[in-house]
Amino acid sequence: MNEFFMPALLNLCDPLNIFLMIAGLTGGIIIGALPGLTATMGVALMVPVTFAMDTTSGLIMLGAIYAGAIYGGSNSACLICTPGTPSSVATTFDGWPMCQAGKADKALIASLLTSAFGGMVGVAFLLCLAAPLARFAVKFGGPESFWLCLFGLSTIAVMSSGNMLKGLVSGAIGMLVATVGLDPHGAAPRFTFGYYPLIQGVEVIPAMIGLFSFSQVLYLIGSYKPYIAQYNPTPGAFGQVVRELAGKCKIVLLRSSLIGTLVGMLPGAGGEIAAIIAYNESKRWDKNPDRYGTGIIEGVASSECANNAVIGGALIPMLTLGIPGSAVAAVMLGALLAKGIQPGFKVFTATGDLAYTFIFSQFAVNLLMIPIGLLLIRLMVRLLSIRLTFVAIAIVMLSVIGSYSIRNSVLDIWIVLVFGLIGYICNRIKLDSGAMALGIILGPMIEENFGKCVSLSKAVDGSILRVFMDSSIAMLLIFLTLLSLCTPFILNRKRRHAQKHL
Amino acid sequence: MKARFLAKMLLVTAALFLAAGGVSYAKYPEKPVNMIIAFTAGGSSDVQARIMQKYWDKHVNQAWTFIYKTGAGGAIGFGEIAMSKKDGYSIGGINIPHIVIQAVTQKAQFKLEDFDYICQVVNDPQTVAVRKDSRFKSVKEIFDHAKANPGKLKLGLVGPNSGHHLMFVDVKKKFDFPVTEVFYKGAADQNAALLGGEIDVMFGNLNDVMRSLEEMRIVGVAAEKRNDFLPDVPTLREAGFDVLSDIRRGFAAPKGIAAEHLAFLRDVFKKICLDPEYLKDMRVAGQPSEYLDGPDLLKYMISLDAVVKAAFPQK
Repeated sequence: MNEFFMPALLNLCDPLNIFLMIAGLTGGIIIGALPGLTATMGVALMVPVTFAMDTTSGLIMLGAIYAGAIYGGSNSACLICTPGTPSSVATTFDGWPMCQAGKADKALIASLLTSAFGGMVGVAFLLCLAAPLARFAVKFGGPESFWLCLFGLSTIAVMSSGNMLKGLVSGAIGMLVATVGLDPHGAAPRFTFGYYPLIQGVEVIPAMIGLFSFSQVLYLIGSYKPYIAQYNPTPGAFGQVVRELAGKCKIVLLRSSLIGTLVGMLPGAGGEIAAIIAYNESKRWDKNPDRYGTGIIEGVASSECANNAVIGGALIPMLTLGIPGSAVAAVMLGALLAKGIQPGFKVFTATGDLAYTFIFSQFAVNLLMIPIGLLLIRLMVRLLSIRLTFVAIAIVMLSVIGSYSIRNSVLDIWIVLVFGLIGYICNRIKLDSGAMALGIILGPMIEENFGKCVSLSKAVDGSILRVFMDSSIAMLLIFLTLLSLCTPFILNRKRRHAQKHL
Repeated sequence: MKARFLAKMLLVTAALFLAAGGVSYAKYPEKPVNMIIAFTAGGSSDVQARIMQKYWDKHVNQAWTFIYKTGAGGAIGFGEIAMSKKDGYSIGGINIPHIVIQAVTQKAQFKLEDFDYICQVVNDPQTVAVRKDSRFKSVKEIFDHAKANPGKLKLGLVGPNSGHHLMFVDVKKKFDFPVTEVFYKGAADQNAALLGGEIDVMFGNLNDVMRSLEEMRIVGVAAEKRNDFLPDVPTLREAGFDVLSDIRRGFAAPKGIAAEHLAFLRDVFKKICLDPEYLKDMRVAGQPSEYLDGPDLLKYMISLDAVVKAAFPQK
């Protein structure tokens, strides 16, 4: 193993590779920051370019774009309440309030530093524990994934502790939307209303862009504000943020990056789910959960830290078993296979040169991300000094182009418009669009895994329940789900208790 | 001054040459050709087409413009090919049996007669795979075990209404194979389920199982002859189970493009498919090449159509 370390480090110092890392990061951050252009698309676009490069350089570049794009998504999440990639949906919960309170610089710096930290933790796991973790990841079958999704969904109760009924209604609407299209088990078309393209279902990304970004434009235009938010740069913001992160956010950072790595390893669950779970766990364990959503640094930190930790996690089963842990990892796997590189545990010995160079490049990328990100932040905050009307037009244009380009389907433009209206109305009647997003993201996975469990139950004696509760991982997740469902009641009691003592 | 004059002269000559070239080759294609891909960028279908493009560029001086129309297991993209302009500047990749099954079981926006077939380029046979540490060493052991323990053996398939599903229906019809089948969304999920022990056996494409070869044992290939990638693995027929099943990739244009355009395309694709360099690239990428010309491909698809109609209920 160690014999590859020195050559790998030397490979990294190749000027071409350094250039590719910097270019990939910069391009990735910009792609990520533009709503509609996702990390998957950014990486997929560059795959043909890697055919002409040597494998190591190509992989380094793709990895840099991946890391950059996942971080870049937070820029638009904080500045215009628009998740640039689906992974940064949870970043909007606290990033946007921070921006509106005039602390845009702090929010952006916090997401930059936590992204880099999360990314490093994920890669550290990839470097040290790839083999055992890959074995663990494949143990996550139908029942476990089902419970994990239910656990994710149960966080609606925590998220909307103010008005749980409205939270549940929004979540249910989201899950209803998720049933449109071919059903995953019998292949029967549902809710297509005779319109053939609907057979492919409602794509998540346009729905998210509509719910969060287009609706935000409608809201901003209705607000008659000349600018998005007042921006007063704080002198010494960087130092302040570093101190805050190293001080009170230590536990949040560690927990979120662990959650990110774990969720990243699972096939089918990517950055958006990791970020939402991490955000809610931070909120749950906080002494004063009500602060979340009002614009605090911990909220931004947990979401951004988790979604970048997903990268290292997603690469673990991709490199060792040939099973990608995220959509982007799947594209990178395609690039590797086209070069004739066979994934497997052997990747660390037979092609150790490549594997370790790539892993080290990920460390380097996360370090380089800090100076490059800081430079780009300076440019990005200028957005706040552009008149709102121009910004609004730009957001609408990007949303439409971005959504169309995902699968070149006009249907997706309509989805953006319709969900924009839904999001706007939700905002007005105080329905929780975050809960709806959760329903849309998790709905298909819940259905798919539930169906798998039902199929599997035919081979098991006894009831279906035995399939659902067969493993210790499943039992643990059931326990966590129940605990999560009880949280709002416990919180309410605490609050009443506190009021009594006032 | 002199240098500038020289440069100008050079430009003019170059332009003249280009124009002359343009005139003498004022034939099809005069502009880039749209290549419609029905699956995501970076997927197996895309990678194959990208390899092909490298060799297309050697023969033709107009590039391909890749257009990804994904969704509904390829049906959206296939529909796009069928409905595109018949000017010879829109062609696309098709997958078989997906396209046949979709035409039969869904109200898809295309029929087999809506395409002019250029050729087949890949024949990716189905395999029977188990975990490396599985007790099953051969296909016969699996079938015997299934028969002795009805419903206990868990079989993973990608589907439903897929090539895997079609193979399963065929096997069930021919043999006593009482298993519990579980459908997965894609090959990645299916591979993970096999490695994690959620299923005991799976039917999977060669190209897909090759990714996790270190962890899997392939016990049979559902093809007429053994595959070059796995020369030691017997065919199902050798093992006594007469089952053939595969997933094929080809290229097609919308029905009714000019005959000389179709002939040109068929000719270039054939040249590419027989190029040893191309075959080497395909091998490295783990894509099992098999060339079939357009008319033969259509013949195969018509025969498959009958099989699919017998296997799946029609809507």
